[in-house]
Amino acid sequence: MRRALLALAFLALPVFLFLPASPTRADDIVSGISQNVIQIKSNYTGSDIVVFGSVENSRSSQGRDVVVVVRGPDARMTVRRRDRIAGVWVNSDAARFEGLPAYYYLASTQPVDRIAPPAALARYGVGIRYLYPSAVGSHHDPHFFLEAAKRHLKQVGLYAEAPGDIDFQSENLFSTHVPVPAAAPRGQYNVEVYLFRNGQVVSAQSTPLFVDATGLERQLYNLAHNAPLRYGLACVFMAMLLGWISSVLFRRPT
Amino acid sequence: MEIYLPVAEISVNWIVIVGLGTLVGFLSGMFGVGGGFLLTPLLVFTGIPSGVAVATTLSHVTASSMSGALAQWRKRAIDFPMAGVMLAGGLVGTGFGVWLFALMRRQGQMDLIVALSYVLLLGFIGAVMLRESLATLKASRDGAAAHLLHRGWFQGLPFKMRFRQSRLYISVIPPLAIGFAVGAMSAIMGIGGGFIIVPAMIYILRMPTNMVMGTSLVQIIGVTAVTTILQATSNYAVDIVLALLLVSGGVVGAQMGVRIGGKLRGEQIRLLMALVVLAVCAGLLWQLVARPSDVYSLTLEAP
Repeated sequence: MRRALLALAFLALPVFLFLPASPTRADDIVSGISQNVIQIKSNYTGSDIVVFGSVENSRSSQGRDVVVVVRGPDARMTVRRRDRIAGVWVNSDAARFEGLPAYYYLASTQPVDRIAPPAALARYGVGIRYLYPSAVGSHHDPHFFLEAAKRHLKQVGLYAEAPGDIDFQSENLFSTHVPVPAAAPRGQYNVEVYLFRNGQVVSAQSTPLFVDATGLERQLYNLAHNAPLRYGLACVFMAMLLGWISSVLFRRPT
Repeated sequence: MEIYLPVAEISVNWIVIVGLGTLVGFLSGMFGVGGGFLLTPLLVFTGIPSGVAVATTLSHVTASSMSGALAQWRKRAIDFPMAGVMLAGGLVGTGFGVWLFALMRRQGQMDLIVALSYVLLLGFIGAVMLRESLATLKASRDGAAAHLLHRGWFQGLPFKMRFRQSRLYISVIPPLAIGFAVGAMSAIMGIGGGFIIVPAMIYILRMPTNMVMGTSLVQIIGVTAVTTILQATSNYAVDIVLALLLVSGGVVGAQMGVRIGGKLRGEQIRLLMALVVLAVCAGLLWQLVARPSDVYSLTLEAP
């Protein structure tokens, strides 16, 4: 309960991130999301949130781009490469990455490479290509391992890019749908909205989004982690009980 | 039809999971094996993380073994002293297996060692069972009497014990050793070990086939129950919702399996099981030698 209240208090004030010094602070961006918390229930199959906002004090829509990035909690990733040794495919080399998000979604008014130069994109982590780990553990060039990690995450829908998928309701009002698949992990996400003008970030806003289990799912998860012995015993008891019940039900008089 | 698994943290189609549980439970009841060696790879194939699959399969094995064991018990086909001796070996083996598991993981290449030992073991057991059951079938068709039981090579060992129901008077060392080996494998491979224990009891201990089913099931219940608790307390990898789905299907399947198994003759059961074991072996071998669709694989962990 206290955690929930804290979370609500935190949500009440959208966190304004980096605002770069700009001589004429003309463009500004204001954004919101359709829900601050995604609740995982027993029938959870993923979710869909709407990110919306408006560009204020805009002189013109020319040379202006909006990028919406949703970043999941960081994960530790291990990529292994298999090689054929004596006819058998064997894990022969591995690389470990830290500081990459477990979920990443990007929607933008056009492909990010046309919005800004690579250095600017890398600075803000805009675009799957421009995501770099904070720490690497590898004996060799980790490049192919990093590419492989991103390829796998794209395949399972945890990493996605949707260039051109931002709808403008009017000249300055925009919105976009962000799919959150069921495989996306629990934790704190960040919804970041960037306004680029002529390849420069002129305004940005970040809002937290929480993905968390509720009700029975949460209780079971907590029990498994906080009282593992009781949880394990409960599993064994349930298995034996069901085994016994079925044996009684199916008993045939002989 | 989707249901969220709180520990695995993914959604699955519950009909598929219950169906898998039923299928494997059926084999379990018919052959007196737990079926973990089939269920674990099948669950991983449906997208469940392998740690959760290994740990949760054990609950399914416990339940279908329980169901099968009760059915056998009514037929008076359980040798409890024998099950107790093997279980004692099994619990020590499980502890050893958990330790070995950690050691192998530190050395890397654990996946390969597990897969290779599966292939070798299944290939050997399957081939032996196939040859023997075919020979027995042929002999009975020819009208010749089945060959006499040979005296085991271990007759000279000390600590002899009388197992009245199995009509055996043997040393406790071989059943303890079999229990130990299977307990260790259970911790490493996430299996109950019935597919190893059943042939071992038939061919090494020379127990009557009708006694082997119930006795091995009792031993498996003990080993899997302890391993489930170890997995829950050390790895937090047991998913109770997944276990419930698997178990619900499994216990029904196990009952059907016992019915059908009871109608077949011993050598026919052994022939069928030999074929299943060889099929799984071939599948695992194929995975080892076939070029993977992507030579890179990714593991995600929460920091």
